Amino acid sequence: MSLSVEQERQRAPGDEALLSVAGLRREFGGVWAVADATFGLRRGAITSLIGPNGAGKSTVVGIVGGAIAPSAGRVVFDGADITGLPPHQRARIGLVRTYQLSSEFGRLTVLENLLVARPGQHGERIRTLLYGKRSWRRQEAELVDQARVLLDRFAMSGMEDEYAGNLSGGQKRLLEIMRALMCQPKLLLLDEPMAGVNPTLAQKIEGYLAGLAAEGLTMLLVEHELGLVERLSESVIVMAQGKVIATGTMPELRARPEVLHAYLAG
Amino acid sequence: MNAAFTFYATTILVYLGVDILAVWSLNLQYGVAGIYNFAWIMFQAVGAYTAGVLTLGPATGNGGFQQYILGLRLPEPLPLLAAGVVSGALALVVGIVALRRLRTDYQAMVMLVISVIAVLVIENVTGLFNGPAGLSLVPQPFGSLPLSSLGYQWFYVALTAVVCLIVYLFVHRVTSSPLGRALRATRDNEDAAQALGKDVVRLRLFVFVLGGAIAGISGAVLIQFIGAWSPGSWAYVETLVVLTAIIVGGTGNNAGVMLGALLVPVAFNEATRFIPQFGRPGLVDALQWIVIGLLALAFLWFWPRGIIPERRRRFPGTPAVSAQLADPGEVA
Amino acid sequence: MTGSLFVQSIGFGLVTASILALASVGFTLQFGVSNILNLAYGDLMTASAFVGYAVNQAGGGIAGSLAAGAGFGALASMLLNRYVYRRFVRHGTKLFGMVVVTLAVGIIVQNILLAAYGATFFSYSFSAGKQVHILGMVFDTSQLMIIGLSVVTMGLVQLLLTRTRLGKAMRATAANPGLAQASGIATDQVTDLAWLISGALCGLAGIVLVLNTSAFQSTTGNDFLVIIVAAAMLGGVGRPVGAMLASIVLGVVTEAAAGFLSPSFKEVIAFGVLVVVLLFRPAGIFGQGSTVKEVPT
Repeated sequence: MSLSVEQERQRAPGDEALLSVAGLRREFGGVWAVADATFGLRRGAITSLIGPNGAGKSTVVGIVGGAIAPSAGRVVFDGADITGLPPHQRARIGLVRTYQLSSEFGRLTVLENLLVARPGQHGERIRTLLYGKRSWRRQEAELVDQARVLLDRFAMSGMEDEYAGNLSGGQKRLLEIMRALMCQPKLLLLDEPMAGVNPTLAQKIEGYLAGLAAEGLTMLLVEHELGLVERLSESVIVMAQGKVIATGTMPELRARPEVLHAYLAG
Repeated sequence: MNAAFTFYATTILVYLGVDILAVWSLNLQYGVAGIYNFAWIMFQAVGAYTAGVLTLGPATGNGGFQQYILGLRLPEPLPLLAAGVVSGALALVVGIVALRRLRTDYQAMVMLVISVIAVLVIENVTGLFNGPAGLSLVPQPFGSLPLSSLGYQWFYVALTAVVCLIVYLFVHRVTSSPLGRALRATRDNEDAAQALGKDVVRLRLFVFVLGGAIAGISGAVLIQFIGAWSPGSWAYVETLVVLTAIIVGGTGNNAGVMLGALLVPVAFNEATRFIPQFGRPGLVDALQWIVIGLLALAFLWFWPRGIIPERRRRFPGTPAVSAQLADPGEVA
Repeated sequence: MTGSLFVQSIGFGLVTASILALASVGFTLQFGVSNILNLAYGDLMTASAFVGYAVNQAGGGIAGSLAAGAGFGALASMLLNRYVYRRFVRHGTKLFGMVVVTLAVGIIVQNILLAAYGATFFSYSFSAGKQVHILGMVFDTSQLMIIGLSVVTMGLVQLLLTRTRLGKAMRATAANPGLAQASGIATDQVTDLAWLISGALCGLAGIVLVLNTSAFQSTTGNDFLVIIVAAAMLGGVGRPVGAMLASIVLGVVTEAAAGFLSPSFKEVIAFGVLVVVLLFRPAGIFGQGSTVKEVPT
C-alpha cells in the first residue's frame, strides 16, 4: 500500500490517517465497480470524494461503511483492520454513514429517531425485560438532553414530536445528519448530502458541516457540486472508472490533465 | 342474574383473557417488530398440547382411548410455565431457520406453510398428541379445591387475570423501553437500523421467542379451561382472526389490540350465539367468517392504523410543539 | 413396494401433475403480472368447480362444465383483481397487507360457497370411462382427458406468451410495469387480460381437480392451494415454464412418496421442499431472482 505524493505532502508529522483503504476492488456481475482504490483520510479534516457517475464512489462508501464486502483490499480505521467488520459494529466504533435515500424511521418521532441512533444503550439490551426502567432511565434522560441540543443547533426543536415520515425532504436530510451525530462518530461518511436539496437548505447544511469540521470531526464527503467541495474540503480524491486517479486540493487537481479529462471536462 | 348467565359470562371473560394474551403476543411480533408471523397459531397450539400432556395422567388411563406422549400429571403452575418454555423454544428453532431477509409476502408464506406442516405432522403422528382427535379430558388445575362449578369459573377468571397481569409486566417493559424503540426502528427501516448498530437478527429472534412463549401460555390457559384441543382448533386461518383483531384494534398499541381482542374474537364470535340458528346447520358460522373477512378488508382500506393506533411517544420537558400531523402511511 | 405399484404411482403422479400444472401456471401468471400472491386462488377453483357442477346437474356434459368453469374463473378473477386487489394496491396497501387481503377474500368466497351449498360433499355425475393401459400404468379415460387437456392448454399458453403481441405485452408488464407503460403498453388492460387467462386456467384446474377426486366440498380448492404455491415458487414465481416443470416434479414425486410412505406425508414432503426452497433460493429452482419489492401500481 502506498499513499500518493500529494497525501504525503499534506500529512503533518505524527498525523496519521484516521481511515485508510488499500487496494480496494469490488466486482458486480462481471463489472469492476471499484478496480483499485487506495487513499487515506486525515483526522479532523473534510475529505471529498468526487468523480463522474459510475466512478465507483458509492461502492467505495458502501465498502467503508460495511454494507458491501470488497472483493479485495483492506479498510483500516483508527489503527484497526475492519475489513470484515459488519455494518452494525462499525457504527459502534465510531464509523457512521448517511444515505442518499431517505432512511428515517417513519413511524417514530423525530426525537425518537435521534434517541434510537445511539449505539450500546442500556435500555436496548434484552435484560431490560428483567430489570425494567431503573436500568435505563438515567441514560435515557441524558440522551434526550443531547438530542435536544442537536435539534436546537439544527433549528428543528419544534419538530421533536413530529413523525419522521411526515417531514419534508430537506428536513429528513437534516434528521439524517443529526442522527449520525447522535452516534458520536469519529468519522462521518456523507453520501451526497445535498442531493435534491434546495439551495437555501444546502447553504445551511454547508454551514453545519463547516462547523462540525471546525470542532474536529473527520468527514468523507461524496459530492458533485465542485464549488461546495472546494469550500469545504481540505483534500479531494478523484475517482474514475473504479480507480482513484488523483488526490490533492482543488487548485492542484484543476491543473492536472487526467482529472480534467476524466471528469471536469466530461 | 341467574347462574347460567354468570357461567356464560365467566367463560367469556376467560376467552377474553386468552385472546388478550394472543393479541399481545402477535402484536409484539408483527405490530412492534414487523415480523410477518403467519404461523402464530402453531405456537398457541404447541403450548396447549404441552400443557395438556403434562397435566394429563399417563395415556393408559381413562381406558387408554387416547395416545400421547408424556402424561406426567404435573401440578400447576408447571404445565403453564412449561408451555411457555416449549413454545419459546420452538420459536427459537423456527426463528433461526425462517426469520430471514425475505420479501414480506414470501415471509408470510414460509410461516404459513410451516404451520400447515405442523398440523399435518401432528395429525399423522398419532402417538404425539392423539392425531386428528386431539386431546380431551384434560384435568382442570387446582381441581381439588372445594369450589362449586360456578365458584371454579370465577377462580379460573382470577387465574387468567393474574397470568395476564404478569405477562403484561413483561410486554409493557419491552414496548415502553429503548428496546421497544429499537424494535420499531427495525420494523420501519431494517437497513438503517442495522447501519446504526442494532443487531437486527438478535432483536427479531428475541421478540419472536417472547411472542411465541406468550402464545404458548395462552394455549395452556385455554386447554386447561376447555379440557380439550384438536387440530381443528388451529388451522392457519385462526392466525387471521388474531391478525384482524390487531388490525382492527390498533397495530402496535397494547391497549388498542386489547380492544381488538374484545371486538373480534370475543364480541364477534359470541354475538352469533345470540342469533338464532337459521338455515342449515353451519350457515351462521359461515356467515361469521364472511363478516370477519369483510371486517379485515374494511379496516385495511379505511382504518389500517386501527381504532386506537400506536401512540406518539412524547418526552417530558418539551419546548413548544408545532401542529401535529397524522401518522404517516402504514408499514404493512 | 413392487415395481408395478411404483409405475402406477407415476401414473397418478402424471395426473396430479397435469392438474397442478394448470393451476400453478395460472397462479404464477397472476403473480408475474401483478406481483400478488393470490391466496384466494384455491377458493376460486372451488367456486368454478361448483359452477361446473351446476351445469353438470342441469344435464350438461363434461365439456359444458369445463367451459362454464373456465368462463366463470376467468371473469371472477379478472373482476377480483380489477375492483379489489388493484384498488387496494393503489390505495397504498403493501405486500404483506395484500396477503391479508387475498386471504380474507378467499375466506369470504369459501364461506359463501359453504353458506350456499352446505358442508356436504358433492360429485359430478359422469361416467369415468373405461380403463386404458399404457406402459404399465392404468388410467381412466377421464384421467387421460385431464392429461391431454393440460398438455394442450399449456402448449397454447406458451404459444400465447411467446408468439403473440399480447403475450409479449404481458411479459413486459410482468418484468417492469413502469417501463412497459412508458413504452406505450396499456398495462391495465394487459393485466385484465392476464387475469382473464389465468382465471380461466384457475377454473379449468378447479373442474379437473374435482373430476379426479371422488367428491368435493367448499374447502377442496383451498386444500390444494399450498401445493399450487409450492409448484409456482419452485418453478420461480412468474415463470410459467418453471411452474410446469415444477408441477411435473412435485406431482410425480409426491405420488411416488405416497406409495413408499404414508399418503398423508406426501403433503409434508411437498411443503417441506417449498419451505427449504423459499428460504435458500427464494427465486425458485428455475427462477432468476425476484427484485421487485413492492406491488407495482
